[in-house]
Amino acid sequence: MVDVFNVQIFFVLFRESLEAAIVVSVLLAFLKQGIGSVSDDPVVYNKLRKQVWLGAILGVAVCIIIGGAFIGVFYGLGKDVWGKSEDLYEGIFCIIATVLISLMGIAMLRVNKMQEKWRVKLAKALLEEPKSKKDRFRIGYLTKKYCMFILPFITTLREGLEAVIFVGGVGLGSPATSFPIPVIVGLIAGCGCGALLYLGGSTAGMQIFLVISTCILYLISAGLFSRGVWFFENYRYSKKTGGDAAETGSGPGSYDISNSVWHVNCCNPLIDNGWDVFNSLFGWQNSATYGSVIAYNVYWLCLIVAIGLMLFEEKTGHLPFTKGLRLVELNPMYHIKNKKKNELTKQEQDVLFEQLKKHKIEGTDAADTTVPKRSASIEVSAL
Amino acid sequence: MLSLFKVVTALFAVNVLALVSAATPQTHEYWYEATWVTVNPDGVKERQAVGWNNTWPLPNIEVNKGDRLIVHLSNGLGNWNTSLHFHGLFQNGTNQMDGPEMITQCPIVPGGSMTYNFTIPDQSGTYWYHSHTLGQFGDGFRGALIVHEDDFPYEYDEEVVLTVAEWYHDDFFTLKKSFLNLYNPTGAEPIPQNLLWNDTRNGTWKVEPGKTYLLRIVNVGAFVSQYLWMEDHEFTVIEVDGVYVEKNVTDMIYITSAQRYSALVTMKNDTSRNYAFMQAFDLDMLDVQPKDLVVNGTNWIVYDEEAELPGAYDVPEWEFLDDFYLQPVTKEEILDEPDYRITVDVIMDNLGNGVNYAFFNNITYASPKVPLLATVMSSGNLSTNAAIYGSNTHAFVLEKDEVVEIVLNNQDTGKHPFHLHGHTFQVIERGPDYGEEPTPVSWNETEEYDAPEFPMRRDVLYVRAQSFFRIRFKANNPGVWFFHCHIEWHLAQGLALALIEDPAGIQEKETLGENWLANCEAAGVKTIGNAAGNSENFLDLTGENVQQKPLPAGFTARGIVALVFSCIAGLLGVVAIAFYGMADISNIEERIARDLDVDLHEEEEAEGYSHEQYSAEVSK
Repeated sequence: MVDVFNVQIFFVLFRESLEAAIVVSVLLAFLKQGIGSVSDDPVVYNKLRKQVWLGAILGVAVCIIIGGAFIGVFYGLGKDVWGKSEDLYEGIFCIIATVLISLMGIAMLRVNKMQEKWRVKLAKALLEEPKSKKDRFRIGYLTKKYCMFILPFITTLREGLEAVIFVGGVGLGSPATSFPIPVIVGLIAGCGCGALLYLGGSTAGMQIFLVISTCILYLISAGLFSRGVWFFENYRYSKKTGGDAAETGSGPGSYDISNSVWHVNCCNPLIDNGWDVFNSLFGWQNSATYGSVIAYNVYWLCLIVAIGLMLFEEKTGHLPFTKGLRLVELNPMYHIKNKKKNELTKQEQDVLFEQLKKHKIEGTDAADTTVPKRSASIEVSAL
Repeated sequence: MLSLFKVVTALFAVNVLALVSAATPQTHEYWYEATWVTVNPDGVKERQAVGWNNTWPLPNIEVNKGDRLIVHLSNGLGNWNTSLHFHGLFQNGTNQMDGPEMITQCPIVPGGSMTYNFTIPDQSGTYWYHSHTLGQFGDGFRGALIVHEDDFPYEYDEEVVLTVAEWYHDDFFTLKKSFLNLYNPTGAEPIPQNLLWNDTRNGTWKVEPGKTYLLRIVNVGAFVSQYLWMEDHEFTVIEVDGVYVEKNVTDMIYITSAQRYSALVTMKNDTSRNYAFMQAFDLDMLDVQPKDLVVNGTNWIVYDEEAELPGAYDVPEWEFLDDFYLQPVTKEEILDEPDYRITVDVIMDNLGNGVNYAFFNNITYASPKVPLLATVMSSGNLSTNAAIYGSNTHAFVLEKDEVVEIVLNNQDTGKHPFHLHGHTFQVIERGPDYGEEPTPVSWNETEEYDAPEFPMRRDVLYVRAQSFFRIRFKANNPGVWFFHCHIEWHLAQGLALALIEDPAGIQEKETLGENWLANCEAAGVKTIGNAAGNSENFLDLTGENVQQKPLPAGFTARGIVALVFSCIAGLLGVVAIAFYGMADISNIEERIARDLDVDLHEEEEAEGYSHEQYSAEVSK
């Protein structure tokens, strides 16, 4: 049985493709529900949908190239370039992924609250290129326009890289015949789950689906954050022990006792089959460190606080205990981009009104009492 | 006729005199102070080493069989205890002179001194002496001890002593810190920097053609075993560990820490060239091999000082003498089936502090608070109760004259040289190397085995990887005898046990000397009581030294709390998301547009909405 079906490879492929499929299918379902159902502007919908698919496929392609390069170096030059700093790379990837997913998740929830046609307008506005050429390369613009591309790209790249390195490097102990079937079956199983999620989402109550899928995304993201920190701590321990620990499996000596919160000699996501899926979804570690446990809890704490603040601000217009401070002002980019200059303060508005009044008094009766048309109008009506 | 009578009388007188002088034992008395000396034996790096009377290396001590040896050892080190063990000597009736700290004596503290005074009545051959304070002999406190005897069984022209060892550039304190450390979870031993040959490198041995030399080889190192071989010359092994053996010719000797081999080497008659005398690390014993490690040591047999010294002489494979097959000259029939069989498994594992320790079965040796010998002397009738010697000293009580067999199963993938104090033992069986097997192979009692009729005897024997050995001896030497791995790193990890041989006999024959007791007083160590220092109730061991706690097997309280907390955090987070997701927010479009820096209003303009209509739409 082992000769045609390597269980370890199956689980790795299943886990990686499951995570990637969840992200991609949630994005697609969100797009379909949010924009696609409004039939009057399929162009925007298609553009964004293409971005998602392009991101996913390009991520897979790049990871195969990079992974192939690593394997080539490993066998050609006999150097395990990946091995020594593996924990460090994994940790960095995890942190990048968790940041992206965290930001995207809330954005998706909020955007979905908009009325449908506003979502379309938003999408259109995001996709539209700014008039000046210089503005086209502003990071802010690029990240917004291509956000639907970036997230799936990074996700599939990361997942795929892990899978390729594992199968190519570690899987070499098993006979070559045991490869193809678990790889294909694992891919099908993972993508299948993603497809189910998409189909389910497309028909179920939209907001509920979005809430559920966002919850899943955030569980994965919390797990990723914890895992990232765990990888960094593992890297530090491996460096101190000179790399010995990696070979000792799950037993004593494979982990830092002074940093351990719990350790069981089984259920190791890196080695034991099936537990890696548990690790993907919830960040489970058989050997938890202070760092990984605290990171997990801190992540949720920050998320709950952030959501709390957003709810409060959206209901009352300002942050708790600070009248006049809004969440958006906490974003440094806000100040950097000088958005303020587009908003008139009350004082300035009073001055403006005065000026206009004077204008009217002084002269013409065709005075236009409306204030200038730029976005200041939005602020005025919100007062 | 008269002249013949005179001649005969003269001859008779001479012979009588000769006999008398041979029979008169001499006393050799030495005064030595252990001091720190700056040395650089490998010519690469200077470091501090433990010398005697400010000199290093330590002198070879030469005595005759039957002589008395007295060494007054004082401790001038200032920051380290010391002790002295004469390796291989039986110390029959003088167990308190044997040397190991907290086994047969108290440590000699800085400023203190102890007098070792004993005779060597029934042994001869190549021995050595070294400190039995942990790690000290690796730092230099070691030297050769030759016990000559008139009835030497073989002929030779000249005698030469050769010591081999490995050498570290760092001292034991420094190395021990990083060795017994939670960041060294596999217990990887520190790698030595070089090999030494008579405490130098690239040594030369000036020889004369045609002579037969008796080469007494001692491995005074604390860790690695070495291969020794000569270019175009052979070793004729005639003694191991003080036991004379029938001539065994070999090209290569494998010598572990603490072992001795004496070999006859017959020189060529031709002085035209010189030859290499090689030594090499047993690389299996090194956890890693640093790229810059010089694995061979090249020394020379010099016939002609003017001729050139050849380069290294390499050999294609390690074919060396298997000491199991040596035949002692004095044949001793194999001891009967043992009265007492001690079976121990050698295991390396980590305890609760993350450090890797070495175990015999499940016990890693921890020092008692009172020297075991003192516990024997002060425990009266309880001396035969093994419990009083502590739960972590792994003490076994042996009865007088019983045949004891130690079966040692090595569950580790490394070789280990084991040494028994106070005895030479018969080597009954030694299993082959099972290092490549997935699991260690223990001795199987039911398997058929043809034991040798006259087994080989010695006092240091190595066991092969994942294999076993069996040794037998007769408990005819009352005393507390240490049995331990002679790799100092493993001794530091606790690979030792104690044999309390004939405690009643010890009480009878030994009297703890004044000097011995004074040394304990200076060290602040009690001389009565059990392993916990309790002299009221010998069976009460509260307060004894024990090994570290084991690693927690699964979830501890801390772990459960952390896991529950994390689950709750996750749940709350999910609830928060759900709540936010279902909540109604007014003016959401404006907020989002503002946050994303997008002007939705412009869109309105394009489609012809007026401002009022826009506002109306938005507030819906």
